[in-house]
Amino acid sequence: MKFFQKLSQIDRRWIYLLVALAVIVPLMARMGLPDAPGKYSLQLFDAVDRIPPRSQPVLISADYSPSMMPELHPMFMAMARHCLARKVRLMVMTLDPTGAGLAENGLRQITDEINARAGSAADSAVYGRDYVFLGYKPGTAIVMMSIGENIRQAYPADAYGTPLDSLPMMRDVRNYADIPLVNCIAGSAVLNYWIVYAGARYRARVGGGSTAVSSADYYPFLQSGQMVGLLNGMKGASDYEFLNQQRGYSSAPRVAGKGMDAVSIVHLLIMGFIVLGNVGYFVTKKSAQQKAGEE
Amino acid sequence: MKRQLPLMIVLVLGIAFTVQFFIPSRASEVTYQTALQWWLVMSSFAMVLALGSLVNHHVLKIKRRKEHWAFSWVTLAGLLVMGALGIMGGPSVGLRWANAAYNQLFLFVQAPMDSAMFAILAFYMASASYRAFRARSKEATVLLIAGFVVMLGIIPFGAMLWRRIPDISEWIMMVPNMASKRGILLGIGLGSTATALKIILGIERSWLGGSGK
Repeated sequence: MKFFQKLSQIDRRWIYLLVALAVIVPLMARMGLPDAPGKYSLQLFDAVDRIPPRSQPVLISADYSPSMMPELHPMFMAMARHCLARKVRLMVMTLDPTGAGLAENGLRQITDEINARAGSAADSAVYGRDYVFLGYKPGTAIVMMSIGENIRQAYPADAYGTPLDSLPMMRDVRNYADIPLVNCIAGSAVLNYWIVYAGARYRARVGGGSTAVSSADYYPFLQSGQMVGLLNGMKGASDYEFLNQQRGYSSAPRVAGKGMDAVSIVHLLIMGFIVLGNVGYFVTKKSAQQKAGEE
Repeated sequence: MKRQLPLMIVLVLGIAFTVQFFIPSRASEVTYQTALQWWLVMSSFAMVLALGSLVNHHVLKIKRRKEHWAFSWVTLAGLLVMGALGIMGGPSVGLRWANAAYNQLFLFVQAPMDSAMFAILAFYMASASYRAFRARSKEATVLLIAGFVVMLGIIPFGAMLWRRIPDISEWIMMVPNMASKRGILLGIGLGSTATALKIILGIERSWLGGSGK
């Protein structure tokens, strides 16, 4: 009985230590757990994959802060890699002030990789021709509505002060009608706003990625067709990285793939703790009831 | 007048832009586009307000030597350094060293600190699930089983245990979860509409400050 009582009273420091080990060990040594991309990750990947190269640009709004970086930044990287590897033009913006630094550095990393491998100017990722960085703009819903009227209202110039009309790929882009897909990567309710304002009001095709904890909020929009696909937390990011590698668009190390190993082990650990806690709870409850009956 | 003027502006603009949505004319479109530009400018002022509020709060804290007042110096110093580097490194001034310093501070100080704060959640969640996630009632048992299956469905071990687990996990998300989410969304929609109407008609006045009376 003492054993079961102890089982339901494990010191929290042991729990913390086990969680730390469950995170650190899989990150140090890749476990290579099998990948099975989810339905909605695949739908989003296919939506980007169907956009013709060197045509109208995809918009990615990197609406996340560093606190959500481990889950959401790999999504941004995988999606941007996919677009630029296929020569699908890319516009990147953010509605989170701290998202600008993350997105800009991510873009720089990807374009450096592509340009280091490129054999000719046509294979390179050229700023203004293949991608633009619009930067941060305050106003959330107002910015989305402004893009629906004319993107120049929200962004007269890019993040570096260059007027949009001076950038070759932006000359024919006016509003959502010229953007085949809007992707929002967010850990907050901003994705909801994109669905409501860009999707419902301006008929834009909206996809995106969210943290695992908030992804349940978007299932109604997936079923109604108001979202073309969804990346669900670390699993969604890992799915996208896997699909990129499977279709030959990227050979970059899979950051979320590695993270998914750690997430899997931590999930198992948490499930183990729940079982232990419940076993201890029921055994001690039963013994307390027996004691009460004897008295 | 101090209260009546904002109420009047909200009433007139609220009704005007509700009507505007249903008028597909050129004049209506131009009005809407002009208003959007105004709103963009106005929303930027929210940043100025937030900045003023932050500085005011921390300066007062330092002046009155409130608990942990020394940390307010760190906040103000961070604000000043990042703000100054951001402006000097931005497109209008364009100092490359300032831009590089801003990026280094952001990537190697702010980002890890922010991520570390959020990562601590994993420890609390593990500890809380062990202590609080108990099958104390029928409802709690249903929640426990559903949570278990969804967690297993997300990780590769679920399919390794039984190949139908990811399907069951998806069914839970697409049927019971969605039924409740739809109910919540409809409630939020109706509530937002009712609140918007109350604000436009001046019934709800708490946004003016004070007790709302």
